[in-house]
Amino acid sequence: MFETTLNESQSRVDRLLLAALGGLMLFGFAFVYSATMVNETTGVFQQFRELTFPGFFKWLLSELFFKQVIWYGLGTAAAIGLCLIDYRSLARWAMVAYWGSTLLLIAVLIPGIGSMRFGARRWIDLGFFQFQPSEFAKLAFIVALAHFLSRPAEELRRPDVFWKATGMIALPFLLIMKEPDLGSALVMVPCWIAMLLVAGVPRKFLVRLFSLVGVLAALFLVDVLFAPPGWQIKLQDYQKRRLLVYFGVDYVPASGASREDIQRLKRQQLDDSFNVRQALISVGSGGLTGKGWRQGTQNALGYLPRAVAHNDFIFSVIAEESGFVGSVIVLTLYGAVLFTGIRIAGQARDRLGKLMAVGVVALIFSHVFINIGMNIRLMPVTGVPLPLLSYGGSSVLVSLIAMGLLHNVHTYRRTY
Amino acid sequence: MFIFNQLKRDDPALRLVSVVLLAGLVILFAGLWWVQVVCGREYQSHLETQSFRSVRVPAPRGKILDRNGVALADNRPRYDVCLYLEEMRKAFAADFDARFKYTTNTLRLQREAKRAALGRDLTKEEAKAFRVTMEQRKELSRQARLAVANGITADLGQKLQTSLALDVKRFTNHAASTPYQPFPVMQDLQPQQVARFQEQFAGIPGIDLESQTIRTYPLGSTAAHLLGYLRREKDGESRDGEESYYSYRLPDFRGLIGIEGGYDEKLCGHAGGKSVLVNNLGYRQSENIWQPTVPGYNVTLTLDVRIQQAAEKALASRSYRGAIVVMDTRNGDVLAMASSPTFNPNYWVNGFPPGELERLDNPQTKPQRNRATQDNYYPGSVFKIVVALAALELGHDPNELYTVPAGANGRGIAVFGRNQTKQDQAPPGTYTFLRAFIKSSNGYFIHAGLKPGVLEKVVELGNRIHFGERANLGTMQENPGSFPRPETVRSGWSLGATANLCIGQEKIETTPVQVAVMVSAMANGGKVFWPRLVQRLNSQDPLSNEPEQTVPEARLRDTLGVSAKTMQLVRTAMFADVDDSDGSGFRAKLPGFRIGGKTGTAQVEVIGEDGKEHTTWFASMGGPENEPTPRYAVVVMVENGISGGTTCAPVAHDVYQAIQQLNQPAKSIASAR
Repeated sequence: MFETTLNESQSRVDRLLLAALGGLMLFGFAFVYSATMVNETTGVFQQFRELTFPGFFKWLLSELFFKQVIWYGLGTAAAIGLCLIDYRSLARWAMVAYWGSTLLLIAVLIPGIGSMRFGARRWIDLGFFQFQPSEFAKLAFIVALAHFLSRPAEELRRPDVFWKATGMIALPFLLIMKEPDLGSALVMVPCWIAMLLVAGVPRKFLVRLFSLVGVLAALFLVDVLFAPPGWQIKLQDYQKRRLLVYFGVDYVPASGASREDIQRLKRQQLDDSFNVRQALISVGSGGLTGKGWRQGTQNALGYLPRAVAHNDFIFSVIAEESGFVGSVIVLTLYGAVLFTGIRIAGQARDRLGKLMAVGVVALIFSHVFINIGMNIRLMPVTGVPLPLLSYGGSSVLVSLIAMGLLHNVHTYRRTY
Repeated sequence: MFIFNQLKRDDPALRLVSVVLLAGLVILFAGLWWVQVVCGREYQSHLETQSFRSVRVPAPRGKILDRNGVALADNRPRYDVCLYLEEMRKAFAADFDARFKYTTNTLRLQREAKRAALGRDLTKEEAKAFRVTMEQRKELSRQARLAVANGITADLGQKLQTSLALDVKRFTNHAASTPYQPFPVMQDLQPQQVARFQEQFAGIPGIDLESQTIRTYPLGSTAAHLLGYLRREKDGESRDGEESYYSYRLPDFRGLIGIEGGYDEKLCGHAGGKSVLVNNLGYRQSENIWQPTVPGYNVTLTLDVRIQQAAEKALASRSYRGAIVVMDTRNGDVLAMASSPTFNPNYWVNGFPPGELERLDNPQTKPQRNRATQDNYYPGSVFKIVVALAALELGHDPNELYTVPAGANGRGIAVFGRNQTKQDQAPPGTYTFLRAFIKSSNGYFIHAGLKPGVLEKVVELGNRIHFGERANLGTMQENPGSFPRPETVRSGWSLGATANLCIGQEKIETTPVQVAVMVSAMANGGKVFWPRLVQRLNSQDPLSNEPEQTVPEARLRDTLGVSAKTMQLVRTAMFADVDDSDGSGFRAKLPGFRIGGKTGTAQVEVIGEDGKEHTTWFASMGGPENEPTPRYAVVVMVENGISGGTTCAPVAHDVYQAIQQLNQPAKSIASAR
């Protein structure tokens, strides 16, 4: 660590960041393998020995852990590619990326283009790849906002600049909410706030903004949790149920509900809290040192639903199999990435670089906090992936591209 | 340190961001510490008792009862022993490990033996033969599953004292395709076997007793066609408006045809659900019914089982292919609806005996067809009732003499138009209306039918009886038949067509139920009722406050609108057909009963066989002598008969006799059961 800080003015490569990312990818590979290969009788070596090479390759391609490796590869390539061009040149394309991703967000809402899964229209099916525009939109938003805010400090004091910045988040936010994907929409808010703060937008705006957001959020929660049915904001049923589960509020049957309806609700409540409870049991039963790689029973026996074990709930698998020790290693790796990011922001040659770095850091942090938080019931369940660990092409690609941007800022930092 | 370097930054905004990051990570760290280290033990114990499987429990189907409450379709408890494969994983794994070790050991020994024989190390290529291949692994795991299941099955057979063998093929398929479903190893246990199972197998993981209610038809094939049958629900099939996520679904059935099919939604009730708490060793901890089943509605039919069985016996004892419909002429209630040959609906639930499926699919005898409503037939001379009504109503003189000329074979012949002729079964000679009716003279009726206006009247009356239309019996086995509309006969209609219609050939196709409606109208003075098969639907639970749904009685569909005088003339002719020793229906005669009717013998072309056969009919009405109007309509139709009088009238006689015995007060309903 000290070594890198000493050498920071010379080296174009941040070794700590790269090491931390490599570590995360190793973890991701190992546990996506564990989560998806859990019920296979034959492992990779057995397959390799038995199959001809093309057969083996075909088998690999059908397995999620290998697809994850491919995504790591593609993402790393994209990140390296990004580092070759100065971020200041890249930033000229910021608004193109922003509007392009906005178009995609609109496209995904159109039935026929966007494909429906689990009751939400979040994916564009490209056959080999389920493309999730909201992931890319988050990054495009950060770059565009950094570009927008990297203007002279005096201009930032003007209210119209502030309101334009608000408009920039509002558009993708609302489109992502429409899918619906509350989690993905919400992670943009911390990025926005952090970037406004770092850019030097006057405190009075921020204070006002904070109080407004805070009051709205509080009103929203009180409304959803306690208001009589006629007064409630229309949320998707599952979103509301997740919030109720999180806050431990009982489902309230509509007045005049029959006995069966009440029973159905009770059962529903049990079912909905099922994932959360199972995740908690997974994490908890891992104990200090865990049950060992591929030895987790929660996942193997299907209590942790197999549809989510390898993506949104990958942390449960990690925590169950590697215990508190493993969880702390994961946290440390993320910590290294995040604080390197802060350092890079501090050393950036201009405000654009600084803002981009801060935005990326905030983005990664929100994902990590929400995802791990939901595994230990600190946060309600939302479909937010854990960067680089969760299985998923869009998420991995975007995370690595974001890292590429971060490193780009480092590469073209001040050289004094 | 690195982190604190960031916290000491001179940029206050970045410092704030760093603080927030650090705080977030510390919160996560603390949370993980709490969950994994402080509460770890607690969650580990949760792990042991936290799994439940949800099971869909089908509701008991409603009963189908006859008008006196005799159950035609009922439910009985059935106990199956099932294997839960997911819960047997440990046993499978243990067995697999043992097999795997044994195999690898054997291979190692073989390899060493080979090495010793060669006196050198094996090459890579040679060594390959002594490795466990993936195929072998899969085979071993299959064998392990099979061995465990076989062991349990053998144990089960021994302890329940029956010979029991695992159906290897079915088990292999099941384990490969639907391992999460319970696999029934033994079905339909006897009560003492249930007791033995409970005693000896309580708490053994992976094997369990499932009880369910299952359909049974206590009277076997009685009213089989009308009741219809069920089919087993396919895997993963779910009903509309019902939750579909269950770990297991107990087998459920759906009505396919007949009352079971047509009233399936009412009969099936609402399936319930229960959760079974299973710990990680597969032991069943507790059972919690979160949604009780709501039993289906009982369906009460208008049928009288005693008449039904008499009618079926009358057909079956003579091995006839045909149908009988007995209708209450006062309100259109169907008292019996028999079709022969028949089948046993229990087979659809419990399985078919060998050869039965082939018999059921026989294209010649078609045992599954409900001949009373599903197949259409020419009514033949039975339709002369309508022709008689039409002609007499339009002023045809019943006493007018008409001479039927002799044909080539010595029988009568109908001559009409420009030398068109039709064969007749009745002898040539001079006929009055009455004689023509009881002798069923085609020549006479074609002569009468060709009089001006009669055709239109015939068509009008036929439409009032609703020939060619469905009666909405709700059994999913109705074919409407065919009958000309008034506009069809106005143009493009030939004399030959009229002649054919007058003798019930070609231009009209009916079902026995439609004919019964016609005869009932004759008996009750012209009222055409909707035939009624279902009386009411009511909840099985006597305490339920759900209202009973009653199908209204005696729903009038139409009236014939024929004068009383005409009615009387035709009715007299019908009674004469049975009473007169010269009448074609005299074989139906029964002392103490007043019976009137009309015989019919229609020619049909039969594909395949020798070309032609006769659909024979006896459409009759009758009741106790002392009652002014005949209470029962009995319609007998037999395929490939000799003639209506010879083939069908005796069958009707038997049915009337059974009815007569019922009406004797000494016989109570209970004793008839």
